[in-house]
This record gives sequence, C-alpha cells and structure tokens, in this order.
Amino acid sequence: MKRNIVTLIVFCLVATGMMAQIDRSEMPKPGPAPKINIGEPKTFSLKNGLKVLVVENDKLPRVTASLIIDNKPYTEKKPGTSSMVSALLGTGTENISKDKFNEEIDFLGARVSFGSESASASSLSKFFPRVMELMADGALNPVFKQEEFDSEQKKLIESLKSNQKDVGTIASRLSSALAYGENHPYGQYTSVESVEEINLQDVENAYRNYFVPENAFLVIVGDIKKRQAKKLVKEYFGDWKKATPPGTTLPQVKPAQYTQIDFVDMPNAVQSQIIAQNTVDLEMKDPDYFPVLVMNQILGGSFGSYLNMNLREDKGYTYGARSSIGASRYASRFRASAGVRNAVTDSAVVEILKEVERIRNENVDSDKLEDTKKKFAGNFVMRLEQPSTIASYALNIETNNLPEDFYETYLEKINAVSVVDVKRVAQKYLKIDEMQIVVAGKGSEVAENLEKVEFNGKNVPVLYFNKETEKIDKPVFSKEIPEGVTVETVYDNYIKAIGGKSAVDDVNKVMMKGSASIQGTVITITRKLTKDGKQIEEVAMQGTTMQKDVFNGQKGYVEARGQKMDYTEDQIQAKKKTAGLFAELKVPEGVELTSIEKMNDEDAYVIQVSENIREFYSVENGLKLATETTVEQMGQTATTTMKYSDYQEKNGVKFPMTLSQDMGPQTLDIKIEELKVNEGVSNSDFE
Amino acid sequence: MTKNLFLSAFVLFLTFSGFAQKVEFTEYDLDNGLHVILHEDNTAPVVTVGVMYHVGAKDEAKGRTGFAHFFEHLLFEGTENIERGEWFNIVAANGGSNNANTTQDRTYYYETFPSNALELGLWMESERMLHPVINQVGVDTQNEVVKEEKRSRIDNAPYGKVAYSTGINPYMFDKHPYKNSVIGTMEDLDAAQLDEFKAFFDKYYNPNNATLVVAGDIDIDETKKMIKSYFGPIPSGEEVERVNIKEDPIQEKIVATEYDSNIQIPLKVLVYRTPSMKDRDAYVLDMISTLLTDGKSSRMYKRMVDDEQIALQVLAFARSMEDYGTYVIGALPLGDTSLEKLTQVMDEEIEKLQSELISEREYQKLQNKFENRFVNSNSSIQGIAGSLATYNMLYDNTDLINEEIEIYESITREEIQEVAKKYLKENKRLELDYLPESNE
Repeated sequence: MKRNIVTLIVFCLVATGMMAQIDRSEMPKPGPAPKINIGEPKTFSLKNGLKVLVVENDKLPRVTASLIIDNKPYTEKKPGTSSMVSALLGTGTENISKDKFNEEIDFLGARVSFGSESASASSLSKFFPRVMELMADGALNPVFKQEEFDSEQKKLIESLKSNQKDVGTIASRLSSALAYGENHPYGQYTSVESVEEINLQDVENAYRNYFVPENAFLVIVGDIKKRQAKKLVKEYFGDWKKATPPGTTLPQVKPAQYTQIDFVDMPNAVQSQIIAQNTVDLEMKDPDYFPVLVMNQILGGSFGSYLNMNLREDKGYTYGARSSIGASRYASRFRASAGVRNAVTDSAVVEILKEVERIRNENVDSDKLEDTKKKFAGNFVMRLEQPSTIASYALNIETNNLPEDFYETYLEKINAVSVVDVKRVAQKYLKIDEMQIVVAGKGSEVAENLEKVEFNGKNVPVLYFNKETEKIDKPVFSKEIPEGVTVETVYDNYIKAIGGKSAVDDVNKVMMKGSASIQGTVITITRKLTKDGKQIEEVAMQGTTMQKDVFNGQKGYVEARGQKMDYTEDQIQAKKKTAGLFAELKVPEGVELTSIEKMNDEDAYVIQVSENIREFYSVENGLKLATETTVEQMGQTATTTMKYSDYQEKNGVKFPMTLSQDMGPQTLDIKIEELKVNEGVSNSDFE
Repeated sequence: MTKNLFLSAFVLFLTFSGFAQKVEFTEYDLDNGLHVILHEDNTAPVVTVGVMYHVGAKDEAKGRTGFAHFFEHLLFEGTENIERGEWFNIVAANGGSNNANTTQDRTYYYETFPSNALELGLWMESERMLHPVINQVGVDTQNEVVKEEKRSRIDNAPYGKVAYSTGINPYMFDKHPYKNSVIGTMEDLDAAQLDEFKAFFDKYYNPNNATLVVAGDIDIDETKKMIKSYFGPIPSGEEVERVNIKEDPIQEKIVATEYDSNIQIPLKVLVYRTPSMKDRDAYVLDMISTLLTDGKSSRMYKRMVDDEQIALQVLAFARSMEDYGTYVIGALPLGDTSLEKLTQVMDEEIEKLQSELISEREYQKLQNKFENRFVNSNSSIQGIAGSLATYNMLYDNTDLINEEIEIYESITREEIQEVAKKYLKENKRLELDYLPESNE
C-alpha cells in the first residue's frame, strides 16, 4: 500500500463565488469544491498471516476492532452450522466462563460480537486493551459445550419459526434460492430441519476449518496509536495457529430460461414484496463497474430514480422502489424491489419491467447523468466523515484485487461514464429476457391478476413455490370466510336471489330443453327436475338418445350406448343431496362451507356437499355459479364443472339459461330454449 | 492527530480535538422568532441543515390522525421556486442526502451536503418555510404513499403494533392525543382535505415555532449572514398554543389482547405510563431499562434467555415524549413457556428492583454503559444536528447535548429503587398479550 497522502479535488462540484444579494428565484450555486484527502491506514502483518490495518483518529475517545476472515464462500452440508458457530462463540473459553465473560464486557460498557468467520469489539479507549483481550480470547480459545449447543439450537429453531410469516424474509429466501440455486452458498437457506440435524461436532469442525488466519484481516479504528495496537495484536493474536481453510469450488450459477413470475403465497400479506432479479457476472475490478454503478443509480439507486419516481411519486403504489447491483468475486445479482399494496401487484410488476426496458432502450437525459455523477461525488465526500471508511477502502483494494489508486481515481472514473455507456451496460447486465420476478404476496388477492401480466406483447408465465422454495403446482387460493357466514346463510341468500322462499315453494317441477354444439354436431339436452328430488338428464343427437341419467329419489342409473349401469351406493347418497329442484331449501347433514374461491373471475362461497361434489355460490349476488364433480376412474381423478349463468325469471323464480360443462380442455355450452314450470314432467318419466 | 489522516487540509482546527467530547455551539433568535443553533466542526467537509417544527401528531384535530405526518410528505412536493418533483433531484445533484420524520411532538426536516452546498441547503429550507406549494395533486399522491408506508412499517411487519405503539397507546391514554398513532388510520387519511393542510401550515409552520440548526464545516459569521438573508424575511405567525391535557392516573390494571398476522411467536408486554421526557425520573427509568435488558449480563436477559431458557428474547425500553412517556417491558416465550410464566418472572425482577438496592458493581456498569453511549451519540454531524434541535425544542435546554451525561452520573442507587417503586406498579399498567392471528 502507498504511504503518501493524495489530495483530491472533487471536480464534479463546480466552483463559483458566493452571491452578495439573494434572489430567491435562483437556486444558489455551490461554493468552491472542498478538498478531500483519502488517508491510508497503517498496516502490519503477523507471522500467522493475519494482516492488520490501523486508522488512528482521536476525535472521540473510543476504539473499534473488527476481525474479518475473507474466506471463499462454501456450501454448508447442514445449513445453519455457521449460524451455530457464531451463536456459540462467546459462550465460554479456556480462560473464562460465559457468565464472567458477558458480565465483564457489559461492565466495561463495551460491545463484543462474533460471526462464524468474524468478530468485532468496540469500547471507550480507556477500556480497549482489556476488551480486545476478551474479544481475542472469545474468538481464538472457545470451548464448545453441549449444554450451550442445545440452548442455542433451540433458540435458532424458534427464531426461524418466528420468521415464517414475514413477507420480506420469505421473498428474500426464495429470490436467493432461485438466483443462485440451492446448492450455492448464496442460495441455500437455513431451515428448522437442517438445524435439527446439526450436532456439536459439526460446529467444532466448521470452526476449526474456517476460523483460521490465512485470509484474516484485523481492522482497528479510533483513539489508538499503531504502536499500541501492534503490541495488543501481537499479545492476543500472536498465538493464533497458522492454517488454511479447505478449498472449495462453487456450483455454476445458471440464468433463468425465460422471464417469469415466481410466486409464493403469504396469506397474511397486506403488501406484496416484489423482487425482479437476474444474476450478473461483475467484479469491482471490471471496467464496467463504474458505468454499472451509475446506471443503477439512475434506474433505482435513489429517491429521484426511474423506479421510485414512477412507482411512488407518480403512481403511489409503494413507499419506495429501489434497485441494486452487486459486484463480487463469486456471484452477484441485479435486483429491483418494492413493497406494494395487494391490489396493484400486477401493475407494479409491469411498471418495474417498463423502467428496466426504458434504461436499456432510451438514452438517459444528459443533465440527469451529470446530476447523478454529482451525487456520487457528494456521497464520496460525506462517507469520509467516518474514519472507518479509510479502512474499508484499503480492505476492498486488498480483497478484490483492485489497483492501488482505485479510490483516488474513483470520481474520475465515475465522471467518465457516458450516455452510451449507461445504455450499453443496461443492455448487458439487465437481462430482460431472463428475469425472475419473485413475488411474495396474498395469493387469493393477487395471483389471478399476476397470471394476466403481459410484457412486450407476451404473457409472463407464473411459477408457484412454497415457503421452502420448492416448486409446486398452482395452489387453490382461498379467502377468509367472513364472520357470520354459514351454509345456512349461503343457501338462504341463494333462495332469496332466485325469487324468495314463497315463489320457490310454488315450483314443483321443471322441464328444460336446450341445445349445444359439439364439433359442428348439434345435440339436445333435456332436464326434468322435481321438488322431491327426482332428476333426469337426457342427451340426444339427431333424435337419437345418446345418454340418459335417471334418479328417482331412491336409486338411479346411467344408460349410454345401450348399456345400463345402476348407481352405486355412494352415488345415491351424493345425489340425494344435490338432485332435484332447490336442494338448498334445507341443509343436509355433513354439508360444509369450506372457503371462498374464484369461479369465473367471481368470488364464490364453496360448499362441500359430499366428498366429490363442491358447489359455488356468488359472494356478490348469492346465485349458484357452478357444481364441481370429481370422479375417480382407474386411479385417475378427473374434475368436471357445470357452470350456471344467464339467470332469467319464470313464474317468479330465476333459472340459469346457460349451462356450461367443462370437460377437460373443452367446454360444452348448453343454451336452454324451452323452460316449463309445473308442467311437462310426469312421474312415469323416472321409472 | 497524525497527519496521514484525511484532515491535513484543516490543520488550523486540530486544536479542536482537545475538547473532543464537547459539542460547541452558539444559539440565538432572529427577529421573527426563529431559533438558530450553529455548531462548527471542520474536521470533514460536511454540513447538515435541519429545521425542526414544534408540531407533531399530538397537535392533530379530532378525526384527523396521521395528519402531521401526511403533511410532512406534502412539504417535499415543491415551493414557489422549486418545481414539483424537483426537491430530491436538487439535493442529489448537489451530492447531498435528505429526509424528514414526524413524532408525536415535532417534525424534523434535514439535508446533509458537502459543505460547499451550505447556501443551497439554507435556501431550500427557507423556501419550505416561506412558501411551499400545497395542492391537490400532492395530497392525492402522498395519500397513497403514506398508506403504503403504513402497510410497510406496521401492517405487514412482525410486531409492528408494538414497535410503533399502535397496539399500546390506545390503552395507555384516555384523553391525551398520544392515544392516537403518528401514522394514523386509513379513514382519517382519506378524510383530510386540501384546505385543512393549508390551515395547518399557517398555524404551525412559522419561524417562531421552529428551530434551525446548521452543523458541520461552516464559518459561523458567514453562516449567520446567510441565515439572515434567507430566513429573516419570513413573517412570524401567531403563538402556538401547546396541548395541555392531563391524564387521570391509571387506577386498575388494564388487560388486553392484540393480534398480529405476521408473527408466529407471541409476545407478552407490560406497559407503564411515565412522566415527560424532561422529568428526572424519565432518566432513571432509562437506566432501569439498561439494567434489565441491555447486554447479556443484564438481569432479564441473563435469567430468562440464558439461565432458565424461558424466553427467546427480552425487551425493555422507554418511549419518551414531551408530555408523557410509556415504558415497555416484555418477552417472547421460548418453546412451551406460557405468557403467565413470563409475567411472573418479569414481576419477580421488578420486585427485586423495588426491594433491594442494585449492587455497587451493577451501578458502575450502568455508568460505564452511559459514558460509552454518550461518546458514541455525537459521532456524526447529522446526528449532532438532530440532537441539538431536539434538546432545544423538546427539553428547552440545548446544553443537554453536553450535560445530559451529568444527569445520569448524578442518579443514585437509592433513586433507582424509588423510581422502580413509584412507577412499576401492577395496578398501574397494561398487561398485553400480543398473539399470532391465524390466517391459514
């Protein structure tokens, strides 16, 4: 590292003199650009490989020390092991018990914490030598005890459980898993199950393997001299045994095959969390790094960015929309995210994609580009207020293989980014055709509209996942049933909706005749229904009966192509509940209101009539919308749905004049052409 | 200071470090009543300009909860000389950052810039105070944005109703407007009309109801001149009448249950009503929180999380406000622990505070912790600016930025015991079961 001081002029900030008289209508111009100096930390190394960076700054009487072990990331056999390492560090060492350790740190008013490959300490400078000793002891001489292991394992499991309903946690978990793959260290996640598998030995092994000085840096910042720091570090870290962590290879990160919505249902959500992402191959040392920083800043890096101005300030969809692009030696990704209310989830997805398209295809306004560069200059200046910045810059240069003058030339490189560069890197790094749009939200309110999302004239497919990041079939999203709604009220409302009880009571039998067309052939359907639960359905083609389904209230049969099959006992029981006119006049036993689901884009109360039959009643107007029958045939289940629509009045009662039968991918629409009430049906019909 | 730090351009000010702890400031009033506080620190080329208005959620009219915070959003919509949508762009284009926040008692706006943009910051804040544009477009847009903020922060957030007190304050206050939440209700937000916003501005956003703070790399004399130019001509308004509502003491234990659909682990909290943040007792309660839950050797953490393993987490914090405060003690159960068990153990810890003096060692621990906190509290220019404004406006004593530590130092072990006896009474508290709401 270079030792000389470099003075930088922040040339983005234009210098002009201050005005003597103020004119409110003119925005004041900034004064002469402040000169800034990026200092450099003092450094030294220990024989065991530990590199130490010291930033001396006595403005406040405090010191902070951070130990960072810059190992390559690795895939954990049992995810959560590293969390257990960090939880167990600090629970006792070869020299001091946990209770004494904790008490002394608190007594000194200090903070000490441990990660699986890190540690940090901060305190008033007068207590720092002892605090540093405690941190080193906790990090280097831990004793892992079964008792502490059990306790921390229990806590970790409990806290994992506690996050199960947090929309942000689940969205971030799914997005990581999808971006990197579940075998990648950045994609795997810690589950209750994986934590349950961990044992004390796993923790010991992970610690012994990875908590080693080979790639370790110790950064000390504050009211301390290098000389003092060196003495402390030698004393407390000198005996740390030289060792190298195990070598690892990272699984390949694969892009998505096509742009998709990846949905996970969060029934408690009042906002959907949207993360549109693709992985990128970008390191800090790449020439594209600076154009990418600027491009992201314009797209979603600030309040005035494309994303936020559209989704928040123009549409009012969100409290904030932002984007980010990581740069890493290993793997990183682009992400655009927002929390939006349920009703606008689909629109928000479209607007996010539009803004990504915009920065890919439109030239950025050159004034906007210049303003963005000034923001970088300002941030750069302001970050230097914290002395730790110097250390983190030096650390970045070291760990990311950056040129020595990376930060000295930082603003120069930002300033060199052109309109063309912005568009070029947007096209290169924002992969509009390989984007995963992760949405965690309330399925019953948002999924249907998400399925309709179109972008560039194409429908964006929706894939469904569970909270454990596994791909699943599209679930049925049901809404909560409002308090006070029961089978009785649903049936009552239905009777009211079709004309009221007294009108319905006057109907004893009904005959209806209709026709439908199957592949150009016209078929006629005749239905006869009686109040006491008898029912006939007859299908004919060109005057010839093709199929007949008869139920007389006690037993029944189906006749087709000359073959006659009697109802089974199950069919009889089921038919007793649904056959005939207005079964809803009474509530049979075992009938249950199960959920609210969509039927023809309409919310419907779902009533489970029997194991295989569900009926749907409109939440809005009470009318019966459909009957769904599940049949099992040779081990396969098939569902057919009869939908009712076009209700029209006859004798004071409304009847559906269109019946649509779903049969696999086909729909058979039956239009009722003739409807007779209390005539056209005789008892002999049912024999 | 060593010269290989970034400070060499400011050699003249190196002597400053001799008084590292002390935040030097000057304060004065303009003729229009605007209170000004200046703090010069040239160690980094950074400046913060902030204006705090003495108006918050507690000043809202009946049926208009959330109004003050909603209004804060509107004041970013533009001014006579700053076009709508340009506020954030101007700040960014000058390398700065900005934000604002609203509490029950006050509203604070600030920008932090490289120090060559000081004048710009003063211009922007004076524009906001003199003639902001308050129109229907802004009201309509920010209405939606504020609702999303509510959903993000509270409705979709685990334990949001405790973190933001919306599940606590309605029980703790009966007459005082602290019973309402800062974010407000959806209905009230929708009901707010344009005229009301304009009237609100005229009533509260006057220089005589505000404190301007400028901190960082400035020259005091030049800054004073600029402040006079930009803020001097702003006319003052009528004196604001402060909320003056006394609550009757809580006489009987309040038992309540709240539900949260975003959680799976319940939370038990005990909440006490406490005096104004200015009251010495509020400082004592702050020390009690530290004693109970700050650090792994704190009483509740050590016993409930570590030794007995009945809690996943424990918490104790004071929510200090100008007229009253609330004091919250709580725990999340671990495993099968019942909420009753948590209450019982918390009660034992409270009784212990009331019946025994804390040990000398614990007392020294508290003092060390507060000294550490004090040193860290003034570590950034932006933070110092906010503290100066707060101490001036809400505590009426700007010197507290340097002297508050002396209050903590003067609190005795006996006082801790007395305050625990005085406030942490079973019949004067809320016992809240905060439970998961089933929705699957």
